Order: sequence, then C-alpha cells, then structure tokens
Amino acid sequence: MTNATIQEIEGIDDYWGPAFRSVYEGEGGHEAFVQQLDERIKQHDKEIEKLCNFYYQGFIDSIRELLQVRSHAEELHAEISNVDANVKETTDSLCSRAEELIRARRVELNIAATIEKMELCLPLLTTYSKLKTQVDAKRYYPALKTLEQLEHVLLPRVGPYKWCSQISADIPRLRQAIQDASMADLRDFLENIRKLSPQVGVMALKQTQDMLGRSLENIVKNKKEMMGGLGKDNIGPQCPHELVDFSPLHRCLHIHSVLGAKNDFIQYYRAQRKQQARLVLIPAVGNLHDSIQGMKSYLSAVLGFFILEEHLLTTGAGLVSKDWLLDTWSMSVNKVASTLRTNTSLITDPTLMLSIKHQIMLCYGLPPDPLPPVLQEMAEHYTEVLMQRWVSVFRDILDNAAFLPIEVADQEQYDGVMDTFPYDGDELETQPFPRKFPFSTVVPAVYVQVKEFIYAWLKYSAGLGLGGGRRAAQARHSASLLLSRSFTGCLSALFRRPLPLMQLVQIIVDTQYLEDATSFLYEFISNITGSELVTTQAAGSMFQAARDDAEQQICNNLEKKVDEFLDLENYDWLLVEPTGQASSFVTDMLSYLSGVLTSLEQLPERARVAAVRAATNRIATRLRNLLMDPAVKQISSGALYQLDLDVIQCEQFAAGEPVPGLKEGELLEHFASLRQLLDLITGWDWSSYLHDVGIEGGKYALVTPRDAATLLEKLKEAEQKSSVFSVLKKNERDRRKLLDTVLKQLKQLQNQDG
Amino acid sequence: MAKTYDCLFKLLLIGDSGVGKTSILFRFSEDAFNISFISTIGIDFKIRTIDLDGKKVKLQIWDTAGQERFRTITTAYYRGSMGIMLVYDVTNEKSFENIKNWIRNIEENASADVEKMILGNKCDLDDKRQVSKERGEQLAIDYQIKFVETSAKDSLNVEYAFYTLARDIKAKMEKKQEASNPPGARSGAHVLRASDQQRKPPSWLSRCSLL
Repeated sequence: MTNATIQEIEGIDDYWGPAFRSVYEGEGGHEAFVQQLDERIKQHDKEIEKLCNFYYQGFIDSIRELLQVRSHAEELHAEISNVDANVKETTDSLCSRAEELIRARRVELNIAATIEKMELCLPLLTTYSKLKTQVDAKRYYPALKTLEQLEHVLLPRVGPYKWCSQISADIPRLRQAIQDASMADLRDFLENIRKLSPQVGVMALKQTQDMLGRSLENIVKNKKEMMGGLGKDNIGPQCPHELVDFSPLHRCLHIHSVLGAKNDFIQYYRAQRKQQARLVLIPAVGNLHDSIQGMKSYLSAVLGFFILEEHLLTTGAGLVSKDWLLDTWSMSVNKVASTLRTNTSLITDPTLMLSIKHQIMLCYGLPPDPLPPVLQEMAEHYTEVLMQRWVSVFRDILDNAAFLPIEVADQEQYDGVMDTFPYDGDELETQPFPRKFPFSTVVPAVYVQVKEFIYAWLKYSAGLGLGGGRRAAQARHSASLLLSRSFTGCLSALFRRPLPLMQLVQIIVDTQYLEDATSFLYEFISNITGSELVTTQAAGSMFQAARDDAEQQICNNLEKKVDEFLDLENYDWLLVEPTGQASSFVTDMLSYLSGVLTSLEQLPERARVAAVRAATNRIATRLRNLLMDPAVKQISSGALYQLDLDVIQCEQFAAGEPVPGLKEGELLEHFASLRQLLDLITGWDWSSYLHDVGIEGGKYALVTPRDAATLLEKLKEAEQKSSVFSVLKKNERDRRKLLDTVLKQLKQLQNQDG
Repeated sequence: MAKTYDCLFKLLLIGDSGVGKTSILFRFSEDAFNISFISTIGIDFKIRTIDLDGKKVKLQIWDTAGQERFRTITTAYYRGSMGIMLVYDVTNEKSFENIKNWIRNIEENASADVEKMILGNKCDLDDKRQVSKERGEQLAIDYQIKFVETSAKDSLNVEYAFYTLARDIKAKMEKKQEASNPPGARSGAHVLRASDQQRKPPSWLSRCSLL
C-alpha cells in the first residue's frame, strides 16, 4: 500500500487526486507515507551519489578539456583577429579603388549621355549663331530661312532646356527685328529712290530728247563721239532705271512674303510711294517760275518717279499693279497740270517757258490726258509773256528813237535798210545820196522785232501737233495782236509825255508804213510755216487808235502853243486909239502856226485839218474869253477895235486855207460867234439885233443877250470913266441914252430866258 | 485883268545845226537835259518868266533850226527879236567860224539895236575842244558883244547868259524911255472909227504876206 501510492504518484503526471486520497485514507495514515517518501528520497540520494561517483572522473576530465579548449579558442580568436585585420587592411584600398572605379564609370556614362545630348543641340546652336551672323550681316532673307529651320526642325528635337525656351522666346523677337530691319532697308530704299528719281527723270528726258532729235547730223556726231570715246570706259547705266538699286526692295518683298505679310508690305509700299508721289508733286522749290532748273528738277522728279514705278510694274512681283500705277498717274497728272498751270502763269521769261514746254513734251509717255490743255493754256500764256517781253523791246525802241526820217549816206547803208524792211524803193533808187526814207528807224526796228516775235512764237507751237495752216493762222493772229495791242499800247504810253510836234508827225507816218508791211509779215509767216499765203484784208485800222492819239497830241500841242501866245496878250483895255497894227502876239502866233502847218505836210490831210481846226478853235475861244473875262471891267472902244483888228488877222489866216482839204470857210466858223459879237458892238446895230433875237439864222444869231449885255456894260464903264469930267456933246448924250435903253432891253431878254 | 508880267522880251537862238540851241533852251526852260539829238524843224519857242530887279519879265525864246533849209522861215523871226543868242559849239571849229556869217545875217534881218550875246556851248567836252575860250573872247570883243562859255549838259552859265541878255535889254529899254520923255496921261478923248473901215485895214495884209 504506500509504496504503491508513491509509484502511482511518480507514474502519473497529472491526475494526482486519487493518489492523494489514498494517502489520507490509507493505513498508517500519512506518516507511513512520509516515511516511505523519506525512504524514497534516501534511495534517490544514494542513487545520485552513486551516479555522481561514477561520472565525477569524466567531469573533471571534461573541465580539464574545456580549459584546454578555452586557450585554443583564445588562440584562434587572436589568429582570426589578425587575419581579419590583414584582410581589412588589404580590402580597404580595394574598396576605395572600386568606388573610384564606380565613380569613373558613372562619369563616363554621364559624359556619353551628355555628348549625345550635346550633339543634338549643336546644330541648333550653330544655326542660331548662323542666324545671328546673318542678322548682323543684314542678310535678312537667309536669316529668316534659318529661323524657320530653327523653329520647326531643330528646336523640337532638342529637349526642353531652359536656353531652348529662351531661344524659342527669342524667335518672334528676332523675326520682328528682321522685319523692322528690312523695313528700315525699305525706308532707306524709298529715300534713295526719292533722291534718285530726279536723276532718272533727267536721264530719261535726255534719252528722249536724243531720240527725238535723232537727225542724221546728230547720229553722225554721236558716232564720232563714240569712236572718240571708245578708249574710255563708258559703262554708265544704259537705262534710266538702272540708276536705282532695286535689290533692297526685292529683298524686302521676299522677307515679307516669307513672313506672310506680303500684302501688308505691298500696301505699305504703295502707300509710301503714293505719299512720295504727293511730295514729288509739290514742287520743292517754292517758285518754279524762277528758273528752268526748278521746273526741270520738278518735272524730272515726277517723271523719274513714274519711270521707276513702271519699271517695277514689269519686274516687280505684283508690287506695282497696272491699275494702281494708272490710278496714281491720273492723280499725279492732274496735280502736275495744276502745278504747271499755277507756276507757268507767273513765268515772265519766254525762254524758260519754251524749255518747260520742251520738258513737258518729253514727258509724254503715260496717258497725258490733262496735259494738252495745259500746254494750250501755256501757249496762251507764252504768247502773253512774249507780248510783255516785246512790249519792253518796243518801249526800248521808242524810247531811243529820234523819230527822224532815216537818212542814208551810201549804198551800203541804203541796202542795210532795204534788207531789213520791205520798202518799194524804186523812186528812192534813182535819187542821189544821201537818200532819205520817209520813215524813221522805228519802222525797220519794229518790223524786225515783230519777225523775231513770230520766230519766238513759232518756237513754242513747234511739235504741238498743229497743222501748218493753223499755226500760221495763230501766228498771224498773235503778230497782229502784238502790233495792234502791244505796240499800239507802247505808242499810247509814248503819247503820255509831251512830244515835239515833229516826232508826232513822224509817228503817224511810221505807223502807216508799218501797217503796209503787215502783208509782208503774213507772207513771212506762211513761208516759215509752209502754209498757203492768206491774203487778209489790209488791217487798215491797226494803228488807228495810235494815230488818233498822235493827232490828238498834235492838236494839244498846237493848242498849248496858242495858249502860250495868248498868255502873252497885253491889251490895254482903255486904249484910246488903236495902233492900226495887229498885236504882235497875234502876228507872231499866226506866222508860227503857218510855219508849223507847212512843216506838217507829211501828215495825212485828215490830221492836218484836225490840227488847224483845233488851233483856230482855240484862238477863237481864247480871244472871246478875253472879251468876256470878268476881271476886265472896262473896255474902251479903242481896245475893242484893237481886238477886232487882231480877230480879223486870225480870220484872214483862217480864210487863207492854211492846209488843203478844208471846206470853204470852214475855219471861219470858229470865229463866227466872236465875229457877230464884235460886229454887233462895233456896228452899233442894236435895232436889228433886238429885232432878230431868237430867230434862227439871224445876223447875230450866235450872240446871246447875256454876252451882248456883258460887253456893253464894259464899254459903258470905260466911256463913263473917260468922260467923267468932260461935258457930253449932244450926239454923245444920245448915244449914252441909246446904250442904256439897249442894256435895259438886253436885261429883259436875259430875264425872259432865265 | 491883272497882268501876269511887267514886260515881254523876245529872244532868238541862232547858230549852226547841232551846236545845242535846243538843249540850251531846254535847260533854261525845263532845267533838264536830253542827250539824244533831235534837230529842230522850222521854229519853236519856249516861255519862261524870270524876276529881274523886282520886275516880272516874260522871256519868249525862239529856238530856230540851224539847218540851211529852214533859213527862210527863221529869218522872219529876226525882226521882232529884242535879243539874240549866237551859239557855237566849242568842239566844232566850223560852227565857230560861222558865227561871223550869223552876225551878218542879224545885221541884214534884225533891227539895229538888237542885243546880242555869243555862247560857246558844250564847254564840258574839254577833251574834244577845238575852239579855245580866248578865241571866243577875242571874237566877242571884235564885235563888241558879250561872251560866255556854257554847258547845257552841266547846266553851266545857261541861266547867267539869259539873265545877262535880259538885263541888257531891260537897261537899253529904260534908257530909251528916259530919252523919249515918258508919254503923259492918256488923252481922255475917245475916238470911234467908222466901222466899215475896220474889216480890211491895209496894214495887216502886208504883214501877213511876210510870213
């Protein structure tokens, strides 16, 4: 029993419950069990002791061995450490080399990659630098091409580098710069072209002129010049437009077409050119009429402009269209026309006008619609200018003329006159030297000048495409206008200053000869123009105005002389006894007049009659005024008889037909009223006067009651004065009475009239 | 009517053609000179009023043509003249020599007591002078006539010559007047002539035929 339990306990590991119960419930209680347990322990101890005794030796040996192992281990450890150190030492450098190697390998790889990349970038950069140099060299068109390449081919290939983006950002800027630069070039070109176009015009004009003037003579001359000038290099521009370098323009055009702004460019160009055209059309020099140079350069500028445009029309790629050119031309031609109009209207130099006309004529090339009218207007103006020019020529001739008949001393001089003036000298031919022409130097001089005028006039009309007949007609018209207007005007001006009588006479004679010569002038015109001779009716009245003026002057001259004589009058109005002789101023005057009138024999009859009429009328008027002068208060009958005597002298002169061609008694009529008055008073014929008064054709019809009364009063005054203290005789008293009665009657008549 | 002058002197300019008579007259009457030569045809006159010792003297100066062909016209004016200027050209010997002929002409045609004066004109043209001043003086002394050299162009002595001649005429006139006792007051009587006689007085016919 207890034994069993221990075994059980030892045998069973976990279910110890029944063992414990048996302990408690078993026979000897638990002491027995503890006993047994002790015995068991003692047994186990004994066994352990036995085991220990058994293994002890082994154990010791093991320890001993262990100790031995320990030292070995230590030894090993040292050895290993040593080895380790050695290894460490040797691998250290290896490692660093390896690292170096790695780094180098990495660098190598990097380099390769970089080179690869760089190689991609390189074309871009070279292109870019090419671009730069191209831009710098102003080769804009290639530059633009390069730019294109850069932008579309090269840049996308290269990665998104910062500098790439910079370049791409730069591209529009560059493009703009190129455009600007090319614009600048264009502007330079425009400026240049503007400067050159006058030269172009000049050259073109010269060539046209050469072509127009291509006569055999010229060609031969040119040939000779060519031969002579063969040695010299003569490689000037052959065509006018070669003077201008158009390349900038074309470059610009290309650039803009590349830039896609071709239309804009064309617009711009046209606008600019139009602007230039406007500038060209405004003459640079303010007054073109000052010199041919101004006009020439103006015209050649205009011409040059259009030559260049026309050249561009044929060569330029649509830069200039026909429509546009015509449009501009028509705009310009009107402007040119008006400029010419305004400027030529101020020109006073015929040679200048002539050369301008030549210039304009040469300019014909484009449709010149408005120009012929301008030329026509200019023709008119030219005629005006010529006339003005010749006015001064005439004035010169007249100012320096002596108005004396030409006298020639020998055949040579005679021929000289005959050569310049068509004069039928048959009569003169037979006379001995010195021969005397009826006209003065003015006549041939004016004749020659009119011819000169015709030459000058025809110079303008040459090449205007007028027919010979028309030219001749116009020339005739101008020539006769010159004579009848300009020359006559000069003559009129001449008459404004007082001229000696003889000169006036000569002028009248001269105009007659000039008038006769007009038919020769017409012949001359038809010879020059090669047209048929037109026999116009003699322009008989061409100088009539001038002749009238001259006649008037002659009359005035004589009247002035008469006045001067009458100013010398020194009547003693209280004269008692008339001297029985005419007053000396009257005899002087009459002898002077008859002298003058005889020397006027060259004058046409009409003029002489007019002169003598004027003189007589003046004498009569002045003498009558003497009687009626209110300052003369008294007139004695002696004085009256003296005056009567003087009047009779004058009447004698008038009745004596001082010049031929007068009507019988015509001059006496001037004295009629004076005569009637004098007769009335001296004849004391009051009864018939008072009877006939108011009746037409009466003996004293020209005596007014007022005049009669005035004179009678003066007579009465004088008589009263002379007889204040003397006793009146009977007949004198009667006379006084009669006088008073007559005076009263006259006063009444006067009142009736008044 | 108030008289505009106190007395009237008729003067005459004679001498060869081209000696400058018209120029002298032109200088005296208009105070101007015209270089161009226009020979006088027939006769002409100019009037200038001068003041002589407080008297207004009207000078009616007759300018005659020097050319021979007008001689008949011009001599008719000699008689009425109170003073005669004999003009020669100092650059023209012939015109000086002819002065003697002109003086003879005067003696034949003019009234005996006419005042004379010799003018040697164009004395400005010294380099072309042919007649010395002394010869002029000599001639004048021979004839007992006053003499002066003039230049119408330079207005030299022209005024002087005319004033001198006018003064001499005036002096002679005054002397004459003193000699022939000044006429007394006019007679108060007035005489009327028969009017029928007035129409044809014989006196003027002869005078007219003179011209």
